[in-house]
Formats: sequence, C-alpha cells, structure tokens
Amino acid sequence: MTESILDEVRTIAADTFGVDARTLSAHSSPEQVEAWDSVQHLNLVLALESKYGVQFEPEEMERMKDLGQIAALLGTKIS
Amino acid sequence: MALESRLLSAEWQRAVREFNGRLNAAGIAAGLRLPVEPHDPVLLPGSQVHLVIEGGAVRGGFILRPQSFFFSGVERRVTHYRLPLSEGLIDRRYAVLGPWMLRRALQIDPLLYALGMGGYDRPLPRMLAAMGWRLSSIPFYFRIVHGGSVLRGLRAVRQNPWRAALFNLAAWTGLGGTGLAAWQRFRTRRPLSEVAAKPVDDFNVWADEIWETSHRAYELTALRDAHTLRQLYPPGAARFLKLRVNSAGWAVMLDTSMRDDPYFGDLRVGTIVDSMAKPENAAAVIHAARRYLEQRGVDLIISNQAHPAWAAALKGDGFFEGPSNFLLGASKAFSEALGPKAELHLNRGDGDGPVNL
Repeated sequence: MTESILDEVRTIAADTFGVDARTLSAHSSPEQVEAWDSVQHLNLVLALESKYGVQFEPEEMERMKDLGQIAALLGTKIS
Repeated sequence: MALESRLLSAEWQRAVREFNGRLNAAGIAAGLRLPVEPHDPVLLPGSQVHLVIEGGAVRGGFILRPQSFFFSGVERRVTHYRLPLSEGLIDRRYAVLGPWMLRRALQIDPLLYALGMGGYDRPLPRMLAAMGWRLSSIPFYFRIVHGGSVLRGLRAVRQNPWRAALFNLAAWTGLGGTGLAAWQRFRTRRPLSEVAAKPVDDFNVWADEIWETSHRAYELTALRDAHTLRQLYPPGAARFLKLRVNSAGWAVMLDTSMRDDPYFGDLRVGTIVDSMAKPENAAAVIHAARRYLEQRGVDLIISNQAHPAWAAALKGDGFFEGPSNFLLGASKAFSEALGPKAELHLNRGDGDGPVNL
C-alpha cells in the first residue's frame, strides 16, 4: 500500500464522516470514529468506488476493518 | 475472520438465539429479532432467512421473499428484502455488515424492494438512498369514526400538553366530535349506489376472476390470485376480515383493539389492509370496506394506498391524508423495470403484510 492511497482514503473518509483528516490514521476504525456507522461505512465505500471506478464485492467489504485495510484493498484493485 | 452466508436451518438455531439474546441484552427494540424457526409464523410463504456467520457465530441476517409481480400484466419475479439485522447495532466493529448484507442480497436478486422501514431518517432507507435506490412514501389516509375517542386517545396528535388539553376539551364538550363528523360528511361524495358486499372467509374462483379482469390495469401489482390470497389471509384466520364487493373487487381489513400503542394508544383501529379491483371500481370497494368497519364499531379507519385511483377513492369517501412513514425502496434494477412514472398498486398487504397493525 502506498502512502498516497492511504492519504486519499483518509481525505475521503474525513469528508464522509465530517471529521478532520488529521484525526484519522491507518488504524482508525468504526470503534474509534464516532460518526462511522453502517450508513457512513456504505457512503465511504460508495465514495471510493465512484472516485476509483471500482466495485467492492461483499467478500472484499468484510476485510474493511480500518482505514489501513481499506487502503490496502483499494491498492490491490487499482494496481 | 471471514463472513459466510447460510440459510437458517436447525444447525444454526442455537446461534440465532444467542444473537437475539445479545440484541435483547443491549436493549434493542423487541421487534428487531431474527426468526429462530425456518417456519416461524412471522415468515410469509417462500421466505428465506439468510444468516451471516463468522466462525460459528451468527452476526446478522436478513429475509428474502421471492414473489411474482406483474408489470402492466407481464409477470416477473422480484424479491422483498426484509428485516436486515446485524451485530453492528450493538458493536461498532460490525458496521460493515449492513452494507455487506445489502450487497449480498443484490447479488442473489438485483430486482429487490423494501417496504415500510419507518421513515426516511432510519438507517436502512438512508443506506438504500446512498445505493441509488428510488425511495417514495406510500400515502397514508385516515377517517375518524368516533371523534371523541380519537381526540382523547390518538397519541400521535397529543404530543404536547397544550394540544392534549385542547383535544380533551373538544372531546368533553362534544364540539370536536361533531365538527369532525360534519367535516368528513362534507368531504364524502355520495356513492352512485350502494354496492352489495358480503363478508367471506375464503378466496376462491371469484377472486381469480377479479384478479384476471383487474391486474392488467396496473403498471405494477403483486400477484393476488385466490391461491396467493389464501396464503396471505388463510381461511379461518379470524384476524383478517375479508369482504367481497359484488363481482367488482375485494378488501381485507383488520379490526384491532390497540393497547398502549405509541401512535394509537388504546383506540380500536380499523385498517383497510389490502384490496383489488379495476381502478374504476376502487371507490365501491373502499366505500363498502369503510361502512363495514364502521358497523363493527372501530374508532378510526386507516389505509396506505399507492395507486391514484385508490387514493382518490379514499379521499372521495371522506378520508384525510396524513404523514406517511411507510416507504417503498426500489433497487436500481427494479426502478428501471418500472420506468420513471409508474403508477403502482401497493398497500399494507404487500411486503411483510400487516405485521405491525
């Protein structure tokens, strides 16, 4: 995973959750981010799909436990 | 750990009970539980309970019910998406499960719909909207039979003390009930003639004839032949009041004495749940159903009807329109099949049926 993908995921996640991107890291997860509920998780997935022109299958979505894992998964799909 | 999807079977019943127990312990509303038995009475015929399994534990589930719908007379199979529940309700680590289940359901059948849902601000409609589903509310109509009882007992309109006191005064003086009755009479069109209607306990050949002569008039309606109706409203099920209106149509109604209901308090509520007729005969069916419920002594009559002909029939029979939280969500594929301005014949008999009334 490149740092740039993680940075972009952090930026999109910050927009989606309405938080400051500086408060998010690769380890940020629904347990730590108050606004990250199931609806916002879907919004994050849809925002990433729209930006990168990819589609996440349910089997891939279950690996999205934190922003680092999301960035890693995204990296494999767009590489 | 990987998530798997499995159909409910005896093997998973214990894990489902444990899942429900965790929701219970966290104080999640009692209606939000997964069925434990594959043939649970809350499941309409054909329903499949899909479970989300993680290492032997149930972490969520949803119900799919494939149904025959008719698009301007052409039969297609669509699937009702119902009661998605996940551990995400009580444990934020499982926030992914809501979207996961929705995508899994769409993989099984892209022609998916959801009904009811309780209002646009709830998580499921918000998720469906984000996924590009078409959301619309199915209009709600009501007619007051016993004005005094309704003014005293309808909790939905007595939410602040001043308004409650005003309604108590209107009920006590009798002015409220008299005024409401006059207003409704003024709004009620006189029917061309009284139609012959009779209560029945079963649907048979006559219901098939009504279906055959009616369904092509609607751009969308769910199958309502006699066989389907017997499954939805079985003979001998006293809860469902069935009225045959001449050879024109039929209605299924409920007469429910509410107890401490958050909207209806302890009122006796009549519901016109389901109905079928040609659009031009909707007024006759609604009029007969309303009269039948009035004669039984209900305090208030309610109905949700999507199609303009049924909406006009209710308004012409003195019903008022109120705010509706009964929503239809149509997946992208379902919306495309419908077209942009389809007039749908949907009501409380669709989806999971009148489970909350």
